[in-house]
Amino acid sequence: MEEKKAPTKYALVTGGSRGIGRAVCIQLAKDLTYRILINYNSNEAAAKETLKGVEAVGGSGEIIQFDVVDGVAVAAKLDAWQENHKDDVIEVVVNNAGITKDGLFMWMQKEDWSNVINTSLNGFFNVTNHLIQKLLVNRYGRVINMVSVSGLKGTPGQTNYSAAKGAVIAATKALAQEVAKRKITVNAVAPGFIRSDMTAGLDEKGLKKMIPANRFGEAEEVAHIVSFLASEKSSYITGEVININGGIYS
Amino acid sequence: MTKEVIVEKINYFLVDEFEVEEEEIAPTANLKETLELDSLDFVDLVVAIEANFGVKLVGEDFVKVTTLQDFYDLIEEKLS
Repeated sequence: MEEKKAPTKYALVTGGSRGIGRAVCIQLAKDLTYRILINYNSNEAAAKETLKGVEAVGGSGEIIQFDVVDGVAVAAKLDAWQENHKDDVIEVVVNNAGITKDGLFMWMQKEDWSNVINTSLNGFFNVTNHLIQKLLVNRYGRVINMVSVSGLKGTPGQTNYSAAKGAVIAATKALAQEVAKRKITVNAVAPGFIRSDMTAGLDEKGLKKMIPANRFGEAEEVAHIVSFLASEKSSYITGEVININGGIYS
Repeated sequence: MTKEVIVEKINYFLVDEFEVEEEEIAPTANLKETLELDSLDFVDLVVAIEANFGVKLVGEDFVKVTTLQDFYDLIEEKLS
């Protein structure tokens, strides 16, 4: 009889091509034994760069394209992936894909509201809901949701983003209680101002005055906490929101 | 697949995989109580059914299921 090979374990990072997502992919590859499944939506070149970064630290991985907003596509792509990786399991899910469409609420277009909710909140649903059954059967798993200080304290000019992230925080707490018995933890990481493409347009010099640490954070600093939460070391932490913001809101 | 085979297969994996005592298995037995299933354990039941019968159950399928007999009937219906 053919011997059944041990499953290869994967960590999926949505929006893994750039910014915090890229740093998370590389950190996970450095610290843990997972193969990294790097999701991207539109920027394949950037995703390949991330994969190079993963390989440069001795890790391995692959890239997978889907738009987290499109539930049908998410299911189709993940099912197709599973079909080619029959015995393998995605054990860590990092819901990192997100967009901002900032503007004062009084001027906000419905589209800007919906797009942000669709990516951050519905994207979390589309990916996590599709994978949770396998995690339950696996009896071990890690779900880590990238949220934001905006989802906790609210940020003016970001009612849409604050609403989406706040909702994901609440979902994190609820889901954590549903699945804890199966050794699946669900946590959220809430960065403040982190230097990345998403914050490139901000006035760093002016803004850093209101941050006790007096600087923007680096994506790698966020990646460290994600890596810890993705590891076995964090087994008794669930339903938590970890702030990482230089003291701006604590 | 005859009803007898369905019943036999289900009873077999209930004993083998879900550690149900053989004497507890009766058509009138309450599925949830007999198996001491919590809501998450239904995932395992779904997986066992898929592996044994090749049909995928969803949450709604269980709405009408109280007894083991209901469960046998559900699988028969799904296979027909």
